Amino acid sequence: MLGDYTATLTLIALTAIFAYSFYAVLMAGQLSLGQAGLASLAGFSATVVMPDSPVVGLSPLVVGIPVGMLVGACVAFLLGLPVMRLRGVFLAIATLGFAEMVRIVLINAEWTGGAQGTSVPKLVTPGIAWGCLLLVAYWFWRLGGSRFGRGLAAIREDELAARAMGVHIRRYRMAAFVTSGAIAGMYGVLLAYFSRFITPDDFGFAAAVDGLVTAVVGGSLLFLGPLLGSGFLTSVPEIQRALGVEAGWIRPFLSALLLLVVILFLPGGLSSLIPRWRTPRLDPSIPAPELPALPPPGTSVLTLKGLGKAYGGLHAVRSVDLELGSGEILGLIGPNGAGKTTLVNLISGLSVPTSGTGTVLGIPLGPDGQGHRFARAGVSRTFQHSKLFDRLTVLENALVGAHVVTRPTLLRRLLWLPSARRDEQRALAQAGAQLARVGLADRAGVNAGALSYGDRRRLEIARALAAHPTLLILDEPAAGMNHVEAQELSTLIRTLAEDGITVLLIEHNVRMVLETCTRIVVLSFGEVIAAGDPATIAKDPVVIEAYLGSDGPADSRV
Amino acid sequence: MRIRTASVSTAAALALLVTGCASEDPADTAAPAPQASGGGGGSGEDCVIEEPVPVGAALSLTGAAASYGQSQQKGLELALDDLAEKEGVTYELAIEDDATDPKQGIAVFEQFISREPVSIILGPTLSNGAKTTDPIAQEEGVPVLGISNTAAGITEIGDYIFRNSLPETAVIPQTIAKAKESLGLEKVVVMYSNDDAFTESGFTAFEAALEEEGLETVETLTFSKADTDFRALLTEAKAAQPDALVVSGLIEAAIPLVTQARELGIEVPIIGGNGFNSPQLMADAGEAAEGVIVGAAWNSASESEENVAFLEAFKAKHDGNPDQFAAQAYTGMILVDAAVRAGCSAERDAIQASLGSLQDIPTPLGTFSFDNREPQHPAVVQIVEGGTFTVLD
Amino acid sequence: MQQVLNGIFAGSIYALFAIGFTLVFGVLDRLNLAHAAVFTTSAYVGIELVADLGLSIWLAIPAVLVTGAVLGLVIERVAFRPLKGRHDAHFAGLISSIAVGGMFLALLQARYGPDTRRFPADAFPSTDFELGGVRITLLQLVILGVSLGLMLGLAYLVNRTRLGRGMRAVAENPHAAAVLGVNVDRVTATTFAISSALGAVAGVLLAFYVNSAQMTMGFNIELKGLAVIIVGGMGSLKGAMIGGIALGLAEVFAVQYVGSSWRDVVAFGLLFGILLLRPQGLFGARQVREV
Repeated sequence: MLGDYTATLTLIALTAIFAYSFYAVLMAGQLSLGQAGLASLAGFSATVVMPDSPVVGLSPLVVGIPVGMLVGACVAFLLGLPVMRLRGVFLAIATLGFAEMVRIVLINAEWTGGAQGTSVPKLVTPGIAWGCLLLVAYWFWRLGGSRFGRGLAAIREDELAARAMGVHIRRYRMAAFVTSGAIAGMYGVLLAYFSRFITPDDFGFAAAVDGLVTAVVGGSLLFLGPLLGSGFLTSVPEIQRALGVEAGWIRPFLSALLLLVVILFLPGGLSSLIPRWRTPRLDPSIPAPELPALPPPGTSVLTLKGLGKAYGGLHAVRSVDLELGSGEILGLIGPNGAGKTTLVNLISGLSVPTSGTGTVLGIPLGPDGQGHRFARAGVSRTFQHSKLFDRLTVLENALVGAHVVTRPTLLRRLLWLPSARRDEQRALAQAGAQLARVGLADRAGVNAGALSYGDRRRLEIARALAAHPTLLILDEPAAGMNHVEAQELSTLIRTLAEDGITVLLIEHNVRMVLETCTRIVVLSFGEVIAAGDPATIAKDPVVIEAYLGSDGPADSRV
Repeated sequence: MRIRTASVSTAAALALLVTGCASEDPADTAAPAPQASGGGGGSGEDCVIEEPVPVGAALSLTGAAASYGQSQQKGLELALDDLAEKEGVTYELAIEDDATDPKQGIAVFEQFISREPVSIILGPTLSNGAKTTDPIAQEEGVPVLGISNTAAGITEIGDYIFRNSLPETAVIPQTIAKAKESLGLEKVVVMYSNDDAFTESGFTAFEAALEEEGLETVETLTFSKADTDFRALLTEAKAAQPDALVVSGLIEAAIPLVTQARELGIEVPIIGGNGFNSPQLMADAGEAAEGVIVGAAWNSASESEENVAFLEAFKAKHDGNPDQFAAQAYTGMILVDAAVRAGCSAERDAIQASLGSLQDIPTPLGTFSFDNREPQHPAVVQIVEGGTFTVLD
Repeated sequence: MQQVLNGIFAGSIYALFAIGFTLVFGVLDRLNLAHAAVFTTSAYVGIELVADLGLSIWLAIPAVLVTGAVLGLVIERVAFRPLKGRHDAHFAGLISSIAVGGMFLALLQARYGPDTRRFPADAFPSTDFELGGVRITLLQLVILGVSLGLMLGLAYLVNRTRLGRGMRAVAENPHAAAVLGVNVDRVTATTFAISSALGAVAGVLLAFYVNSAQMTMGFNIELKGLAVIIVGGMGSLKGAMIGGIALGLAEVFAVQYVGSSWRDVVAFGLLFGILLLRPQGLFGARQVREV
């Protein structure tokens, strides 16, 4: 009986493969609609090189599919170079425009047969289709637990935070794009040699929208998403036929209605119906990783000379000189708008200075896109407005934090090499240790978005610590904390300094700053107005007037 | 996690199985493949077959080709009504929608081949769909009669594939010849939509015919089948000062093109291919359609008995004039009936054998014969005069 | 010269359509892909009003404007409001608007069948003018006039009325606007209503221009509309206006000088080029938002 459905089953597999090509980029939060064009190019290229007879006893597809995938990947790379810096809707429209151009070019070309298309033999059996699908699904399954996969998820959730954690944004996004191209190429070849016919019109706007819909309905958070989406959407017309729903306008109406219902009421797509797996178990036999020693106390960690950042006529930071040695706890205080966060953005490489120079852990401050370089060098930070990866668990957040101290594992995971498992376990150990340090070990499996405010702040710190930083920057970590919590935080920071980590602390909680820090720098209107040890700063009249306020009648409390 | 994944996949597969089982009608008592239930003897008019002969039609009832598919549906249903009046053989027509998507067409064909088997399949509506689906029927030995497939390479798919829709190559040469003779043409501008298989093959046929007749093509302009604004192209065409415009386009394009051409002051004759052959041309283009020459596979003005009866019956049932799609669909069903009666069998192989040898069957399209599974009947060159098509001589 | 006019007339319709698109994107940061379905629906409705109810074509325009506004409210309520605050609101909004658009088209087919519908032959005034070798019909002038009039009216609305201020506030920062007392939901709904009303008029104007309404007309113009708003700048009304006319002219010249089969490539080539060289478009000032 299943044999009566061979075509439908094969189509489910093919549609799923196409949906995976969308999934590959949706994983990283990119919406690309050019896959149809890539599939088209790959399919037609395959018709040119496909051998007429079996190759060493195997189907000629053994030549055709890799060629298609290569074409898809290469064109995706070329397309990606200019297009990669676009975001969101712009990327979608640009890639859509690309796909349409491909369609028009191919329709006008002689070698494709134009609108009349090209006939090809049927080479794709259900077995081949499902075999290819399983390979693709396998790839994404192994991707899920790998460093690369986590990095993509991090980019999707919060690109800036991912960059700060050392994820090389450009490279990862391009890799996702090229993967998407290769899979789209596979689809193009398979579709042609299943339908016995290929014409550029099969790969138009409608096809692109169908693929996107399948991917979104299936859900982009779990690797099974595209498969579920495809099974569901391919079955809908069959089910309508079986139920005897009259052909005509009713069928498209019901399909559209179903789509609307799914998208409104199942935010994560169909795959969100599958319960997430348990948190991976820590293997106690694997020790915490051997991490390089932190520099001895006193070593210069950062040097800034005349550093400045101007936005047009507005000087956010103006001519700042600063030296920081390892083992210090430096407090950075000042009124709102004084430029503290801007300064910290400059130091962590997320922003580019417009004047002056500086060196952080040996790396000079320079052109943009260097956030990950500083992360690799040992700079780690939290953010003023918490930038957690909300749809990842607490443990996964910390694992992303450990990005710079773990090795890539994807390729070895594909082969199930034990060394990959060991590396993953080491990463888990490192992440777990940091969670324990801030007291979140028992909440490892909870989604970050579900945490209480205080826990969120703590997770930010744990994530930053997972990178084994030399310089840890904390941007208002105590905001919203009560006295007791602030005390605990203060104790934690001092422990970190004892372990050798240099801490740069921005805070408004002045009492905490005075208690915790070894040295304080005060910023006002972008300039350093005072620097020194806590006792001196507390009594400095300039500081008092600008920020601290006094008990006297001329009270200018901020 | 691995166990979870496996159980999910199993669940998905199970769901599919359930769907498949659900669609099998438990009350279905018909045998999986139509056996020679040619109970009784006789042939032709005397043929008697006990069971209704199952016929499947794969049409595009939604999607881009919906207006053609629905027209075909009307033609088929009318034919069914007419055939019901003849005794001895009854038909069960199942019409399924492929939504102008070749992938769904595959599923529909599969249904007609094995799940709800039929003796013969009519359709699909579009040639490109046929190139995908017909090979499946060929492999399984199910005859297919294309009622609107006009591209090259259809009947070449195999000996179970037939069509009764005259391709452009059979119609256009005489269109150009007659037009040249009647109008004394020397140079023309050719326009066609290059993203549709039918119009592109029409263009190829036009190109060949123009060369054959020694006419000069001053300019070739392309448009998209979805276009409705031709003013830019027509302005270009007008500047080339041709003796006539030769257009290979679908009716959707033909009407605005003709209207806008006259609006822009193009007075020269317009010669169209088969796509122009629709009563909508006169109805919607009004005055502008006067004098348009159309090469047609169906002479709607034919006074033959069959055609007149067809026109009357269609107008009575559907309150409107039929177009070529309806006429070819109607004829298709008539031909199926002729084949079934000739061999007096509902079996697929018997129908395939009889269909191929049909000769001189009277139909609204004219006296129809198959030659190597290709349609043979006189084509006609028409000109719009006084709001209707008349034959150009 | 005739070509230039062809370009301008077609371009004014593109512009009117694109303005609806860009209005919703500019104020609400959402791409409403059901806009094309509203376009198509209004063409059919317009024809029905004229052909079956005998309405004059001039009255069909305001009638269709109202219909469009109602459809806009429906789209907002059904496809976008339920997604408020969701993490993936951008993607989900695309899909939900595609779904609603699909439902509209299916309902259109239910009511009107799949065939192309046209205006009755006597519905249009046959006046035309000939000036220096070019031909213009009265209808074309009306199309141009209505398009420009509506666009200018919208510009006035956005810049000088209270509603417009509300829209601009929501565009800047919905939270802040809410805090300041702007009824964000009402502004959202009104924006959709206006946007769809404009798209609807564009639809009926195109139906006038080519004397037909088909199911596929939305598709074609949707892609062109996207190209226009990118080239003109997302969220910029001026950009949509100028971009639309520019596209109309570019297409016409492409036909003349490059070849008709490459005409659509012009739109996308332009789109691509602008995205790479100047992503905010010719007039856009908004920052490219991250998803």
